[in-house]
Amino acid sequence: MNGITTVALAGVGGQGILLAAAVLAETAAAAGLDVKASEVKGMAQRGGSVRSTVRFGAQVWSPVSPHADVVIATEELEGYRALETIVPGGTLVFAATTHILPGGVLRGEEEYPGDLAAFAAGREVRLLPVDAELLAHEAGSARAVNIALLGAASTVLSFSVEAWRAGLAAAVPAKILAVNERAFALGRDAAQQEVAS
Amino acid sequence: MERTLFLSGNEALAHGAVRAGARFACGYPGTPSTEIVETAACLDGVIAEWCINEKVAMETAVGASLAGVRTVVAMKHVGLNVAADPFMTLSLTGVNAGLVVVSADDPGMHSSQNEQDNRNYARFAKVPMLEPSDGQEAYDFMAEAFALSEEFDTPVLLRTTTRLSHGRGQVTPRVTVDVEPREYARDISKYVMVPQYARVRNRLVLERLRALRERAECSPLNVLEAGTADFGIIASGVAYDYAREAFPKAWFLKLGMSHPLPYGKVARLYQQVSRVAVVEELDPFIEDQVRALGLPVIGKEALPADGELDQELVFRALEPFVSRRPPRRRRPTPPPVLRPAPPAPPAAQLPVRPPVLCPGCSHRSVFTALRKHRLAPMGDIGCYTLGALPPLLAMDSCLCMGAAIGMMAGFNKALGRKAAAAVIGDSTFFHSGITPLVDARYNEAAGLVLILDNRTTAMTGHQGHPGTGRRPDGSAGPAVDLQKLCEGIGVRCLTVDATDFPALDAAVKGEVHAPGLGVIVALAPCVLTYRPAPGRVDVDAERCNLCGLCLAIGCPAIASGDGAITITESCTACGLCVDVCRRGALTAVGVET
Repeated sequence: MNGITTVALAGVGGQGILLAAAVLAETAAAAGLDVKASEVKGMAQRGGSVRSTVRFGAQVWSPVSPHADVVIATEELEGYRALETIVPGGTLVFAATTHILPGGVLRGEEEYPGDLAAFAAGREVRLLPVDAELLAHEAGSARAVNIALLGAASTVLSFSVEAWRAGLAAAVPAKILAVNERAFALGRDAAQQEVAS
Repeated sequence: MERTLFLSGNEALAHGAVRAGARFACGYPGTPSTEIVETAACLDGVIAEWCINEKVAMETAVGASLAGVRTVVAMKHVGLNVAADPFMTLSLTGVNAGLVVVSADDPGMHSSQNEQDNRNYARFAKVPMLEPSDGQEAYDFMAEAFALSEEFDTPVLLRTTTRLSHGRGQVTPRVTVDVEPREYARDISKYVMVPQYARVRNRLVLERLRALRERAECSPLNVLEAGTADFGIIASGVAYDYAREAFPKAWFLKLGMSHPLPYGKVARLYQQVSRVAVVEELDPFIEDQVRALGLPVIGKEALPADGELDQELVFRALEPFVSRRPPRRRRPTPPPVLRPAPPAPPAAQLPVRPPVLCPGCSHRSVFTALRKHRLAPMGDIGCYTLGALPPLLAMDSCLCMGAAIGMMAGFNKALGRKAAAAVIGDSTFFHSGITPLVDARYNEAAGLVLILDNRTTAMTGHQGHPGTGRRPDGSAGPAVDLQKLCEGIGVRCLTVDATDFPALDAAVKGEVHAPGLGVIVALAPCVLTYRPAPGRVDVDAERCNLCGLCLAIGCPAIASGDGAITITESCTACGLCVDVCRRGALTAVGVET
């Protein structure tokens, strides 16, 4: 609505969704936009599905939206779950190799869903799969999956490299900034190659 | 002008309070309120305390206000129920230095046992209610709240909700308010609420309410915003943001101070437009009062009275009214038949991912031991409430903070035998579990109380409590010994290492068959507060017969598939699965680092 971009971040409690959302929000602020972000804590944390929303534009009123232009999913099943909320023409950036099995699947009561691409067929959603685990490992920390994905998502969000740099510096603790800057760059490169291929 | 900050609503409330002169901040942790006290603890010149529960926090805050310093006390919505006793009479005594009570409501129950709308407390106690709608207002309204509190000699209730508390946005810090501490002056007829004084104070409260309503008429917090449509919306809190985004052309009466309701401002909106809707989350709090004025209004017949709103929901619900032609005057029209909001598209059949107890969590051992016995576990509030979910299914009740022990006592008394146990966390026991234990002792109730002592308030993010002595700024204070406390009450008490399953299991078995009342303190620090020694569990596929006993403990590190049990990387080698396996198929192995 009203020239506002909504980005939703979906994943599992403990995957660093909040940090990735903070980087995105700081980036949008550095780009001079009005920003509102929303997260849910508490009960939602202990390994459950976690969702965070960042909205930016000339003027943003609401901190939430049931729909998103871009979804960044740090776990594939959570990507599936978010698919229905993506507006036609929107993008799903997801960790294609990260599978965290929920309790029912662990106990063999349910099945982890199969091919996400097939599942998305017929929807006007662009899929951007990223091997974020591999990229995070290359960057030097398995925990950097979140920022690697953000790097990939940066190719569909219109912020300058300077704005992203400022966003990372503002939100990421100094001790782990270098690793996350590498993860971001690797994610961005990977997405550009995916688009080129 | 200072640099713009990017703050959560709770951080903005804390910063705003301190900039408005607050020098004392206290509360009890509870989602979504927790970060208010945590943030205040990091700011200069503020005494910040975690209190044992919300009632004590309220009383502590009243003491600080009487002593002459501006004070903020924060709690989640249900916390105000615990603090309702002092709060209701505080309305009569009034304050000395400004006192702001922050109630963090949780529409949608993201992390709560109910969804109560605490604006009702403002009406109930006849105190002003402020409702900021974003971070900047959260910051700015604090100064106004303290000023109102002192000018009208009243506590001020300030309502935030999950979306504001845990939402983030840009906040521009404004002028600091310089306030001197106020002198304390003894005033028995004001502060001692015996009936003859309380009757007098009650009259003053009614006068104060009239004066506050006049203030609400001219308060800068209540703004009539001109629009271009023949449609007006009355809204408060984040609901205003949703409505504003959904209907940019509507007229708005934005109520930053939603109680007492400014009748004149409401009337002025009705002079401008022919149709008015109230957009508010949860109860028809404003709507009912508008109706009582005899004014036609669109409210809960179009919008839900439960859960959270959002801009699309508000748009769908109200759009039929906006697009209709204005109603003809004189002839009252029946409310239009609403198109129900289109149902959400059918959700794909995806496995759900509810929250779970962490790998290595010692609560799992307690539930596993308890499950062997035919005792109904009366539960309580904390991470361990997750023990009620599949596959553990090890909790029969969860009512409110501190309910477990009293419910156990009543259950066992009524049946005349030890039929129920109580499961309660350490922080929750301190919060409101001590008095029911004293009561159970006095009334000679039978039962087994398991205090799950993980040395922290885990669910809200690891705050300290009297059992740990840790303060909100991280400093160490004296700690209260749980075992000695229970023994002091005169109750048999045993402390067991909860990571030693055979010992815990034996202790539970012993207590189940022992007469009378007993407490077991199941002690093991929360696995999230330290890094467990690296380890793994090996599966002997020859011995494993896939019986599923290990899966039944509900550990996210144990997986079943393709005819085998596998242990995933998240394993902490706590060994519980090894202990429950009857075939010796599992072995915990230390890993060299």
